[in-house]
Amino acid sequence: MAERNESNSEILSWGPNDKHRLLNTRLPRVDFPYKTTGTAIYTYDVSLPGMLQGRILCSPHAKATIKSLDLSPALRIPGVKAAVKRLDVGGMLRFEGDPIAAVAATTAEIAEDAVLAIQVTYNELPFVVTADDAIKPGAPAVYPDDPAVINNTRVNDERGDSGKVADALKSADAVVEAEYRSPTLHHTCLETHAVVVDYRGGDSATVYVSTQGTFSIPGDAARTLDLDESNVTGIVQYMGGGFGSKGGIGVEGQLACRLSKQAGVPVKMALPRRDEFIMAGNGPGSIQKFRAGVSRDGKLLAVQVEEYGLGGIGGARLAGQPYVYRAENIYRKAGSIHTNEDAARPLRAPGHPPACFAMESLMDELAYKIGMDPVEFRIRNLPENDVHIRQLQRGAKEIGWDRRSRTPGGWPGTVKRGFGCACGVWGGGGRAQCVVDVSIGRDGAVIVSCGSQDLGTGTRTYMVAIVAEELGLEMGDVHEKIGDTRLTNANYSGGSTTAASLSPAVKVAAINAKAEIAKALAPVLGANADDIVFADRKISAGGKTLTWSQACAALPSAGISVRGKFKRGLSSNGTHGACFAEVEVDTETGHVQVIRILDVQDCGLPLNRLAVESQINGGMVQGIGMALLEGRVMDARLGVMINSSFMDYKIPGCLEMPREMLPLIDDDDPRQQVVGVGEPPSVPPAAAIANAIYSACGVRVRELPITPDKVLMGLMGAKA
Amino acid sequence: MGKAKGRDTSTGFSRRRFLQGVGVVGVGALVADNALLKAADQPAGASATDGIVSGNVEIVLQVNGRNRKVTVEPRTTLLNALRNNMVPPITGPKLVCDMGTCGCCTVLLDDKPVYGCLTLAIDAVGRKITTVEGIGTPEHLSPVQAAFGEKDGMMCGYCTDGFVTSITGLLKANPNATEEEIREGCKGNFCRCGTYPRIFQAALEAVKARE
Repeated sequence: MAERNESNSEILSWGPNDKHRLLNTRLPRVDFPYKTTGTAIYTYDVSLPGMLQGRILCSPHAKATIKSLDLSPALRIPGVKAAVKRLDVGGMLRFEGDPIAAVAATTAEIAEDAVLAIQVTYNELPFVVTADDAIKPGAPAVYPDDPAVINNTRVNDERGDSGKVADALKSADAVVEAEYRSPTLHHTCLETHAVVVDYRGGDSATVYVSTQGTFSIPGDAARTLDLDESNVTGIVQYMGGGFGSKGGIGVEGQLACRLSKQAGVPVKMALPRRDEFIMAGNGPGSIQKFRAGVSRDGKLLAVQVEEYGLGGIGGARLAGQPYVYRAENIYRKAGSIHTNEDAARPLRAPGHPPACFAMESLMDELAYKIGMDPVEFRIRNLPENDVHIRQLQRGAKEIGWDRRSRTPGGWPGTVKRGFGCACGVWGGGGRAQCVVDVSIGRDGAVIVSCGSQDLGTGTRTYMVAIVAEELGLEMGDVHEKIGDTRLTNANYSGGSTTAASLSPAVKVAAINAKAEIAKALAPVLGANADDIVFADRKISAGGKTLTWSQACAALPSAGISVRGKFKRGLSSNGTHGACFAEVEVDTETGHVQVIRILDVQDCGLPLNRLAVESQINGGMVQGIGMALLEGRVMDARLGVMINSSFMDYKIPGCLEMPREMLPLIDDDDPRQQVVGVGEPPSVPPAAAIANAIYSACGVRVRELPITPDKVLMGLMGAKA
Repeated sequence: MGKAKGRDTSTGFSRRRFLQGVGVVGVGALVADNALLKAADQPAGASATDGIVSGNVEIVLQVNGRNRKVTVEPRTTLLNALRNNMVPPITGPKLVCDMGTCGCCTVLLDDKPVYGCLTLAIDAVGRKITTVEGIGTPEHLSPVQAAFGEKDGMMCGYCTDGFVTSITGLLKANPNATEEEIREGCKGNFCRCGTYPRIFQAALEAVKARE
C-alpha cells in the first residue's frame, strides 16, 4: 500500500465554500435505500445461529446491600443456558436500576421469566433521589467517605470576587433574583443499548455494539472475555441513535460477554425500554440561582450565580455562566449535587441547554425589567463583532420579530402569540486519530473506508461526496465501508468531532488517490502528472481524454490503494447559533403550541446541506421536548423512577410539531473549514420557547418542562 | 389467563380454544380448524391443569406474500415472531417500546397499520402481513421510500421503517392525504432524531408522485 500522508501536488484546502460541485449541496444520504427498506442491519437486528437472548436483573431499590442471591431457580427453567452475578452478597446497590445479575436463554420471553425467578433479598438503606432532599443537612450521604462532598454537594469551580459583585448589584438600576431548574432528561435513543457477543470458545470473538465508538469495543470486550484485544473484532454497521449515551460496550456488554463465555454460544443483550431508562444513562438536570444587575441603558453590570448539575451518583458539569454574555463583574460557584440515581452521561451538547435556558431566561427578565427590546438587550451584552449579533438580526427578520406585542400577554384574544429568542455555542473541532483508505480497482470501483461510525449524522454520505468530488466522479461511482475495527482507525463520536476529524482524512486520502492515478496515467496520456484534469467522470491532459473506465483499466494490476491521515487546517472548532420561536398559549387550558421555530447555525463548510439542515431540525425538535414535555420524575419516598416508559416520559411527536420549522445555515461564516454541527442546534431552542411563552402570556416559568399546569398556575398568580 | 375470554378472530379459532389446544387436547381439532396451524413440540409439564399456559406451536404466517413457518408461544407478539423466531428473521419492524407508544414496529395487517408489539402472532394467522421489506427493496423502492431519500426523511433510521409503513398504509386508504391528514396518520410514530418535518414533506412528495 502506497502511504502518502502529505500531498505535495497542491495546497491542502477545501477551496471557497460556494465553489463545490457536490459538497455544500443537497445530497440524499447514500444509505437511504437500506434505511427505508428494513435492510440496514442494526445491532438489535443481528441474528446468529444458536444465539441466546440476555436480560438483566436490576436493583429495585435506590440504595441497598444484597443480603442473599441465588441464581439456581433461574437456571432450572428450560431454555435458560447461562446466568452470571455482577455483584454478590454484601454488594452495594447505589440506584434503582443498578445491575445485579444477568441471564441468557433461548428466547427473550424465557429470559424475562428467568430474571423473575432469581432469588434475591436486600438490606434496604436510607437514600435520597431528589436534589432538594439531598442538600438538606443530615440527609443520607451518597458519598459518605468523600470529604469534598458536603451535603451531597461537590463544588468544583469557584471564581470571581463576590464582594465586587455585591457592590455592583447595589449600584444597578434593576436587579433580578431568580432560580431556574431543569429536570433530568433521557436520551431515549430508539435503539436501546444493545450488544451481540459472538464468542464460541477459542481465541477470537466478534462483538456487535450500538455504540458511538467502534474502536472502544475490542478493548472493553477483550478484558471481559480474557482475549487479546487484537483478536476481537468490533462492528457498528448502523446504530439507532446515541446522543451521548453510548460509549464502549457498557455494563450490559460486559454481562453479555460473561454470559457468552459461560454458554459457549453467541448472546444478544438488548435492553428493554424500562431498563434503558433506569440503568443506561440520562442527561443531568440543573438548579441555577442568580442575582444579576443591569444599568438603565442595558449593560450587564454584575452576575452572581450558583450553578449545579444533578448528576445522580456521577458528576455533572454545566456550561459556565453568564454563558455567551459579558458582564463587568462575575462571581460563579459551580458543581454537582449527588443523589441515588444512575450516573448522568453526556447528552447532546452536555451542560449547554440547561445553562442556556437559565441564562437566556435571565436575560429576558432583565430586558423586560428595563423595558428594552430583548434582541437589542442581548446585542448590547455580546462581545464586539460576535457572530451571534448577525444571527440575532437575521433570525429576528425571518421570524417577524416586529409582529410581537411589546407587552407580555398583549396579543388579543384568549389564545395568545408570543416570540422569544436565545443564543448558544459549542466547541467541537477535529481530533487527530482518523485514518482513511481509498482503493481504486482496474474495474473502476472506488471504495473509501474507515472504521468510524454513523450515528445518523450522514458520515457515509460525506465520505463518498469528498472522494467523488476530488476525482471528478458522481456519488454513485464511489462506495463506502465503515463501522468495523478491521478498517482504519477513527475517534469516538462525541462533542460533535466526527466530521471535523474524519473529513480531513478523507480529503487527504482522495488527494493522494488522485496523485497516484495521475502518476500512473501520465505516460499513457503523454503528459505531466500535474497537468492531468479529473472532471465529468473523465481524465484528460494535453488534448487526450480517457473515460473513468478506460483510465482505470490502465492502472497497475493491483489497482491503487492509498491512505490519508487527519490534517490540521481542514477543520475547525467553535460554533454559534441563534434560535427564535413563535408560540401560541391557550390561556384557558395552559396548552402551548410552537407555531414557528428557526435556528440560525454556523458550521464553516457544510459538507451536505440536506444533512446539516436535518441536524438543525433535530436540535429544534429535541428543544421542544425539553421545553414542554420531558423530565424524569422520581418518587422521593420509594426512590424509584415513576415515568420510565414512553407512555409517561413524553418525547415530541407529530402533533407537537410546529407548522413551520426553518433550519437556517449561516452562510456568512467565512471559514472554509469543516465544523461539527451535531450538538449545537439543540442548545438554544428550549430557552427561546420559554421566552416566547412569557411574551405570549406574561408567565415566567422558571422550571422546565413548561407544562399546562405551570402556565395556568402562573396565570392565576398574575391575576391574583 | 382466566379472563382471556375466547375472542373470535378472522382465523376461525378462539384464543381460549387455542390455548387449551396447545396445552392438552385439541391439536388435531385445531389443525382441522385451520390448515395453516400445525402442532409442534411441547415441553413436558405444559398443561392447562397446572395453570401454566406456555409451550410452543408452529404456525404459518403469510408475510410479504410468502407463507412462513414459525414456532411461537401463545404470548409471542407478532413483532417478536418476525424478529426473533423466524429463520431468517424479518427485522425491518423494530422493537423500541414494547407497549404500543412509538410505532417503530408498525406492520400492515390486511393493508391496515398495526403495532406489531401489541398484536399476538397467533392472531395474525391467515391474515396478510406486510412489513417494510414487502413495500419495496433497495433496487425497487416504493414511491414513499424514494421520497424519504429525496427529502432526507431519516437520520439514524431506526424509526424509518415504521414511518414508511404507516405512511404506506395511510396512502393506501387515502391516496390524496393532506399534510394535516399525514400528521394525524403518523401521530402513533416517534422519531428521536427529529426528522418529522421532512417525513411530512416526504409523504406529501409521495402523494404528488402518485398523481
